[in-house]
Amino acid sequence: MQASSSRMRRRAFLGRGLATGAAAAVAPVVIPSSALGLDGVVPPSERIRVGGIGIGRRGEYDLGCFLQQPDVQFTAICDVKEGRRSAVKGIVDKHHGTADCRMYRNHRELLDQADIDAVLIATGPNWHGLMAMLAAKAGKDIYCEKPCTKNIAESLMLRDTMRRCGTVFQAGTQRRNLPHFAFACELARTGRLGPVKRIYAHPAGMRAATSGWLPEDPTPDPAVADWDMYLGPAAWRPFHAKTLGDGFNFEKGGGLVGGGVLEWGSHCVDLCQWAVDDCPPPVDYAPPVDGQLVCRYADGTELVFREKGWIPLGSCPVRFEGETGWVEAGDSGKIVLSSPELMAGRKVEEIGGYPATFHVRDFLDCVKTRGKPKGNADAACNAHIACHAANIALFLGRPVKLDTGSWRFVNDDEANRLRSEALREPWRL
Amino acid sequence: MRRDRRLIGLAVAAALLLCAVDARSQGVTTASGRERELLAVLRSETPESEKAITCKLLAIHGSAAAVGDLAALLGNERLSSWARIALEAIPGPEADAALRTATESLAGLELVGVINSIGVRSDAAAVGLLEKRLADADAGVAAAAAAALGRIGTPEAAAILSRALAAGVPDRDAVAQACVVAAERLLAADKQAEAVALANAVWVAEVSEQRRAEGARFAILARGEEGIPMLVELLRSPAKRLFNMGLFTAREVGVQGRPDAALAEAVDLALVREVVAAPATPPAAERAMLVIDALAERNKAGAGKAVQSAILDAAAAGAKPVRLAAIRALGGVGDAAVVPRLLAIAADPDPECATAARDAIGVLPGDAVDREITTRLATADAKALPTLVGLVGDRRIAVVTEIIPLVDHADAGVRLAAIAALGSIVDLPNLDVLVKKAAAPRDETEAVAATAALREAAVRMADRDACAEKIAASATGARQTVLLDLLGDVGGTRALAAVNAAAKSGDEAIQDTATRLLGKWMTADAAPVLLELATTDAAGTFRGRCFKGYVRIARQFVLPDDERAGMCRKALAATQDPAARKSVIEILVRYPSAATLAVAKEAVAMQDVEAEAKAAVASIEAKLAKPAG
Repeated sequence: MQASSSRMRRRAFLGRGLATGAAAAVAPVVIPSSALGLDGVVPPSERIRVGGIGIGRRGEYDLGCFLQQPDVQFTAICDVKEGRRSAVKGIVDKHHGTADCRMYRNHRELLDQADIDAVLIATGPNWHGLMAMLAAKAGKDIYCEKPCTKNIAESLMLRDTMRRCGTVFQAGTQRRNLPHFAFACELARTGRLGPVKRIYAHPAGMRAATSGWLPEDPTPDPAVADWDMYLGPAAWRPFHAKTLGDGFNFEKGGGLVGGGVLEWGSHCVDLCQWAVDDCPPPVDYAPPVDGQLVCRYADGTELVFREKGWIPLGSCPVRFEGETGWVEAGDSGKIVLSSPELMAGRKVEEIGGYPATFHVRDFLDCVKTRGKPKGNADAACNAHIACHAANIALFLGRPVKLDTGSWRFVNDDEANRLRSEALREPWRL
Repeated sequence: MRRDRRLIGLAVAAALLLCAVDARSQGVTTASGRERELLAVLRSETPESEKAITCKLLAIHGSAAAVGDLAALLGNERLSSWARIALEAIPGPEADAALRTATESLAGLELVGVINSIGVRSDAAAVGLLEKRLADADAGVAAAAAAALGRIGTPEAAAILSRALAAGVPDRDAVAQACVVAAERLLAADKQAEAVALANAVWVAEVSEQRRAEGARFAILARGEEGIPMLVELLRSPAKRLFNMGLFTAREVGVQGRPDAALAEAVDLALVREVVAAPATPPAAERAMLVIDALAERNKAGAGKAVQSAILDAAAAGAKPVRLAAIRALGGVGDAAVVPRLLAIAADPDPECATAARDAIGVLPGDAVDREITTRLATADAKALPTLVGLVGDRRIAVVTEIIPLVDHADAGVRLAAIAALGSIVDLPNLDVLVKKAAAPRDETEAVAATAALREAAVRMADRDACAEKIAASATGARQTVLLDLLGDVGGTRALAAVNAAAKSGDEAIQDTATRLLGKWMTADAAPVLLELATTDAAGTFRGRCFKGYVRIARQFVLPDDERAGMCRKALAATQDPAARKSVIEILVRYPSAATLAVAKEAVAMQDVEAEAKAAVASIEAKLAKPAG
């Protein structure tokens, strides 16, 4: 209840704070907590039944955020690793005071369960997009960790599949539900910085390379670690213990490994996209010069990936520059502005770090209303495409130009061939 | 089984390699230099791991000349997926032909993979072979064929899918899924009638509720106004999944994709009718609440009178959850015309409804709303004033002189509302009103309110120094630490001077507050202040904190190389603590430059950190030796 009501206050305030003037910001309608059954113990019949798929370290954090919500019943866990299945079942059963959490090795069995309304997908990035689409087709709503996709084509497929299936999709871009980031984006979006000219994202490492194939280790018993299912859509390679422990080693299947541009950009670029009203992604992308990878939107606004030059505001910094002002924010919960006057309308508390609780709450509310969460698939699609296109420029070492109508690179056969990548049989999007 | 698949694979490889050799001998294609190198790897005895990556590189550099070699790998269960990475990417009919040919001899997973790739390439020439595969004994192959036909999405492919759906193939759900995808393709090709027919076929088919819902959504969106009855049907469905799809689609039709004002209005009216007709008891009331939510989202830019009127009626009376949803919706879709009724609800005996109404007024757009509130302010009584004053603050209506007298009103509710409102609207000349309240509140409640209001006001003042001057002048006595905290929020030269002075006071509590603030100061001009305190604090109580604050600026802030190096030099000289010195040397390594290198070399002479300094010199020199970029 507290999470919901405090969220309401922040949202309402953000709306009010920027409501004056012609370009009024509209406060989102939030169904009251009493109506949603959050004002006390929620009967089992009213709870959202959630299953987890691939709950590792990050997933366990997300799981904690879900379990904090009184209207969530976590009912099942699917993991290719026996150790993780058992560990998560232990956490869930302890929380609910039951022994009911079901365990699956194969996600298809979990997705077939009619008594699961939504899934938390926190597998390695290799699986994110495909698993989300499989879950949507199975009629589940989805909270999916980022990066959500492996390439441009998959980003578009994700967006289209969520629309087609009527799915409530929340990317794990939890900063969209943190008040100081929301305020910074709102300043840019509502014109209080003047026309936006340049927005900055922190990539935390710019590299792009093809993924490798490590020497073969003895393949474990699938009941302990199901290597075939772990590989999933990634191009085949022999079992190797290190790869099993680090999904990032082959996040792109046989193709590009995203590096910081994708891994961190899916947060920072996502915020930048929000600052420009979730418009289509940039059209021009150039490889880094002096540590800055510069992209340009159709209207000339620049999106700049840069490693250095940030005000010390914590991780995941973003900066938005308009003709008349600028704002910078980071994970410390603080924001810095070009003029104190821009603070008008900000009563929000500073929340340091990057808690996902509010983001999870946003998702659960939308599961009930069928509304669009902040990290919806349309927004995630655009932000991820920006990261993928930037990575392609990085990989090719030359500028590329993206047509955001056809979603193809202009007169660039090599770049177009990197727009998508075949999935290992039998998987398809 | 596995041996059989390998034998099949070898046979396929041989057949396709022959095709490729034949094609090359006829001079059909010529490989580029890079491609020739990659093909040489594929044809060599190199390990499979290298061939795998070579396939990926051929996805970028390969041409028709590479198709044969790649197709030869399609039966290899370890390399098939790698080969298809390239074959899906290489443009031209050769890759299409190779994939079609491969379906003749492959089976199992490798066949599924090849059919998937045919689907990705939308190879219309494969429609015939895919139709046959719809009846494949291998369910995975049949499902893949259906999906591929959906992605191809030509009228011919759609007709095949339609027939399969009607005929009742084993995996009808997979066919239904493909039908909706094909319908999207048809609509994109301006074949609306065929697209709608295909989606309707899914809607009435004996398939899962999820598939039926997808068919219905597509049909509603594709049919325009003619789709509204189907939307209403979904919204009235007892099946939760269908109702949910109705809500989802209600947010799209007429307002997303290609907005259509006439269609949007027709949908709005249909939704309003659903709200009006809903009984005030669960579950209909809860559904009405959700429809209101959808209506509000559809009309974020403002609603027509019919929508406003329906939502106002729902806000005024009925089941509480519906009322609350309607009240909140009005904030998004209303205008000045709804203010009187919302103000009436703001006086509702139910506090949740009252608060929701005030919040809704707070976000209504337009100057007319401000004028309505200001006008009422002049004649309001003590009961109505807190709400109106609160709205002045919420909306930041610039009526400072009207609000100031209210901070001393006889009614505590009015006083607190006025103080809070001033936090949002007060200007610099009138800031003293809040400073006085914060410095000398009449009670604890007022102290909290005044401090919060002053903070909100102070941090947005354009002239920070003038603002700080006013606060600093009152920063004495029992409330000194509170006001010092506020100075920390304001920042700027004057605030820094005031906090510096406080740090040098004889009062340890005040020093504690001041040095804490300096330790997290957000501008680099705090550095010399901190260094001075770190070296001159007579009692020594806060020396360590101030030194760390100084080092924090050197470590975290954006500074010119020379300035950062100079700070490090001073820091090294300011402390004898080896641990503190090491923390400074870490900064030198973090920011390699000629200037930091010089400081590191100087530090080698410091015996207690000699080893660290030498390591830093080596590290910086190595980094500087690397070419830029």
